[in-house]
Amino acid sequence: MNSYDVIVIGAGLAGVEAAWAAARMGRDVAICTLSTDTIAHMPCNPAIGGTAKGHLVREIDALGGLMGLAIDATAIQFKLLNRSRGPAVWSPRAQADKRRYGQWVRAALQAEPNISWILGKAGRILVDEGQIAGLAMEDGTVHRCRALVVTTGTFLNGLIHVGPDRRPAGRVGEPPSHQLAESLKSFGFAWGRLKTGTPPRLHRRSIDFSRFVEEPGDNPPVPFSFMTSGLSRPQISCHVVYTTDRVHALVREHIAESPLFNGQISGIGPRYCPSLEDKVMRFPHRERHQIFLEPEGADVDEIYLNGFSMSLPASVQERIVRALPGLEDAEMIRPGYAVEYDFIQPTELDRSLQTRRVPGLFLAGQINGTSGYEEAGAQGQIAGINAARFVHREPAMVFGRDESYGGVLVDDLTTRGCLEPYRMFTSRAEHRLLLRIDNADLRLTPRGREIGLVSDDRWAHFEDRRARLTRNQSVVSRTTVAIGRDRLPAARALRQPGVDVRQLVDEGQLALEIREPLIDFASLETQYRFEGYLKRQEESVARLKRQEARAIPSDFRFDGIPGLSRESIERLTSVRPETIGQALRIPGITAAAVALIAAHVAAGARG
Amino acid sequence: MFSTDDTIVAIATPPGRGGIGVVRLSGPDAAHIARQLTHRDTLEPRHATLTYIFSPIGIAPEAPSAKIDQSVVTRFEAPHSYTGEDVVEISAHGSPVVLQAIVAAAIAAGARLANPGEFTFRAYLHGRIDLVQAEAVAELIDAVTPLQARVAFDHLEGTLTGRLRGIDAALLDLVARLEASLDFPEEGYHFITPAEAGEALASVQASIDELLADAAHGRMIREGLTAAIVGRPNVGKSSLFNRLAGAARAIVTDVPGTTRDLLTERVEVCGVPFTFVDTAGVRRTAGDAIEEEGIARARQAEGAADVVIVVLDRSRPLTDDDRALIEDTRARRVLVASKIDLPAAWNVAEIGALGVSSLTDEGIADLRAALVPAAGAGELRDRPAVANIRHAALLEQARAAIVRARASAAAGVPEECVLADLHEARARFDEVTGARPQDEVLRTIFERFCIGK
Repeated sequence: MNSYDVIVIGAGLAGVEAAWAAARMGRDVAICTLSTDTIAHMPCNPAIGGTAKGHLVREIDALGGLMGLAIDATAIQFKLLNRSRGPAVWSPRAQADKRRYGQWVRAALQAEPNISWILGKAGRILVDEGQIAGLAMEDGTVHRCRALVVTTGTFLNGLIHVGPDRRPAGRVGEPPSHQLAESLKSFGFAWGRLKTGTPPRLHRRSIDFSRFVEEPGDNPPVPFSFMTSGLSRPQISCHVVYTTDRVHALVREHIAESPLFNGQISGIGPRYCPSLEDKVMRFPHRERHQIFLEPEGADVDEIYLNGFSMSLPASVQERIVRALPGLEDAEMIRPGYAVEYDFIQPTELDRSLQTRRVPGLFLAGQINGTSGYEEAGAQGQIAGINAARFVHREPAMVFGRDESYGGVLVDDLTTRGCLEPYRMFTSRAEHRLLLRIDNADLRLTPRGREIGLVSDDRWAHFEDRRARLTRNQSVVSRTTVAIGRDRLPAARALRQPGVDVRQLVDEGQLALEIREPLIDFASLETQYRFEGYLKRQEESVARLKRQEARAIPSDFRFDGIPGLSRESIERLTSVRPETIGQALRIPGITAAAVALIAAHVAAGARG
Repeated sequence: MFSTDDTIVAIATPPGRGGIGVVRLSGPDAAHIARQLTHRDTLEPRHATLTYIFSPIGIAPEAPSAKIDQSVVTRFEAPHSYTGEDVVEISAHGSPVVLQAIVAAAIAAGARLANPGEFTFRAYLHGRIDLVQAEAVAELIDAVTPLQARVAFDHLEGTLTGRLRGIDAALLDLVARLEASLDFPEEGYHFITPAEAGEALASVQASIDELLADAAHGRMIREGLTAAIVGRPNVGKSSLFNRLAGAARAIVTDVPGTTRDLLTERVEVCGVPFTFVDTAGVRRTAGDAIEEEGIARARQAEGAADVVIVVLDRSRPLTDDDRALIEDTRARRVLVASKIDLPAAWNVAEIGALGVSSLTDEGIADLRAALVPAAGAGELRDRPAVANIRHAALLEQARAAIVRARASAAAGVPEECVLADLHEARARFDEVTGARPQDEVLRTIFERFCIGK
């Protein structure tokens, strides 16, 4: 029988970050997976990043995680979204080479001496005196551990639908987890059922790409990782096609055969990732929908039809695909499908992603009701950090809503729970102006360094860039520049609209050190031009911090407060807010109720 | 912070004598205490029960009779009551002694004397009313004039909330579109153009301006206006004051400089509470020390007044002092030609004065009607007003945020900065109503637009 500090169940995008973080912090980690072939597998979209998601990747990277480095090393196209807008919403995105991505991550994990492998199917969670003791595999083998991170994605009682065809599966071709699902539920966690879908894959050779609008990558491409200095690989283009009336008509004709629409599937799907059936039926006035043809790798056959997820019968899918202009001869390698799966209500977790019912048990990723690789990766990293700290009886590491999108993510999940799959958007962050891709390292790398996540290499690189920023700020405060016929201090000039810091550098008026143009300029520009806005957000942050500083004892009894409605008491008891600030964010809890709670907490503290 | 697990009691009707006084109980023991006070086993809810009120201590130690009053008692079961808790209302005879005795009896039976506003606080806590309505209850009780009462009632009915919701809905639509354009840049959707955004913002700002104009109007309704009556000695100020105030307050003699003190009286004029101030005769050059002090105070009152009533004697020629007064009081004044019952020494039309006679009452009604407009308050519109300083302040902040957003948008500042200001405006609205809806923006986006891959 083997014994580890931390066992991570699942080697998907959450699991690998969890294992990596715990291992880098010096713990003895085992990854339990069905097969090493599916390490860091992307079951759906062959892409990393996008709006808000790109921010999460930068943050994972700033804390020494894998995702940013992996995608930089293996991607086939890079794009910076929202480039024409302000720096707070610039979002990097990349098309992934799925196979190479998985291989890169596997190589990194296998090279890490603190990581071992348990190949097989996880069965039962073992608990001793209420705390995590280990894991029993389905074949009976037992492994001991002090902390357990479960990142099983869509595998818990997973069920795949293709038309009337139903097959238990976690992902296509992979068996679902029943025993583990039951083991988790035996602890009494609140749980629900969600669904998601994926589109058909087409064979590259059956498509004439010259018939579509080409979408090339950026030139020059913008990397994800702070450690990536240049990207030199050639980029591959994507293509765009639009649906037509004929496509819509076909969908409507066969709608009764769609499990998403005929009631065959229970479970709630993500509204921001609508299936083709959703699009056609719910938005009938829309003349055409945009579909992207995305290669799943540089030299693989599969073309991913982005925006075309559906679960109609396979034969119907083929007809619909071939109704797309330019795809009349397309060959379908694999039909699209819908998958239903169990998830655990994340209100069962505290903000370190540890379950309250079972100390030492951490949950991360889609099992918590999120969707998206980046959301999974961010949670995995946070869970891994805290599992590692738990093992050493160190206090948990919690990220605030003002610190990172990861903080927003965890707080949203644990305070509000999930009624449908959760995806990150920039609009979820009330301090969006402070959470930018150019300052992710300033926000997080020092914290990572404190706990051993950040290598010397990365730290040196960071200190370098931070010092450079300080020197640049000093130059700006000392220089006067000419704008038109006026001479004014550079700091004041940069506040004016229409004055571009790059231009001043080009004109030779500002002697700045620019090593990484995008983030070096962005940090400076934001600081001066949007000073007023940043200051207001800082004030709001100060308010938030004050509320967050008022802790609610973990054994506080909400039912001991008369004047609270029964629903409020139920909500509060299930969420167990850790601070007054968190209590304020619980849906349905009024400010007056929180005032009462605060009064009682204060009274209790006085004794 | 109020405690909410006990039963509170208080006299609900204003102090002083009246036919009926009401004692109100609210809390978990209200029914139990009421049964003890009435010596009845049961009190049917929502049923006015005529019953005796008993007290263990009697009405006073010297009158140790157990029965203190015959009253009508009504019980309201939670949550269908004013506070949302169990409530008992005892309508007793309006004698202060009786009412105090009932309260004392209730306290002896286990109730606690309520703090000011505590019943309303409980009503808010139990969700019976929202913040604006809670404040309106106070205003209704404080209302002096019928118009004030109506404005307060409007608040209670929720029309301010309704109007705000309309503005907020427009703002939410704009915010949702802007957020969508940031979070879904690749959808091929046209969410909103800069021109459309500018128009929407202008419209929102105009709506807030309207509400704020009502705020100024509302403040006036709530706090009232001051009208200072100024003029040379013995032009008839005090007589006019008496006429306007409706009682013979000031001392009226023939000797100039008689009114040494500032007399004030508060009356309603066209629905607005007015405080009239009668000043000493302002001879721009003083005589003795007492008169000087009077003059100084008069100047002060004049400066602080919302409207100045300049009284000029029509039966005597206009002097330099008169003309000086006319000059000095350019804005917010009404020129009054007094003593028009006597032969005219000059024409009122020359200086645009209003002719009045305190003797015959001629012109007094016209003068009253001219006062409110002269104070710059414009027409009294019969619309819901923002009569509360808290609301006005929050709306000012919201407006400032909208103005900033407009300027930023016009200057080409990135959308996320414009949105920061718009979110702030919405947060101020939420603070008025006490509501904090979550997830609204995303919900709005997905209901309107088909997005996502």
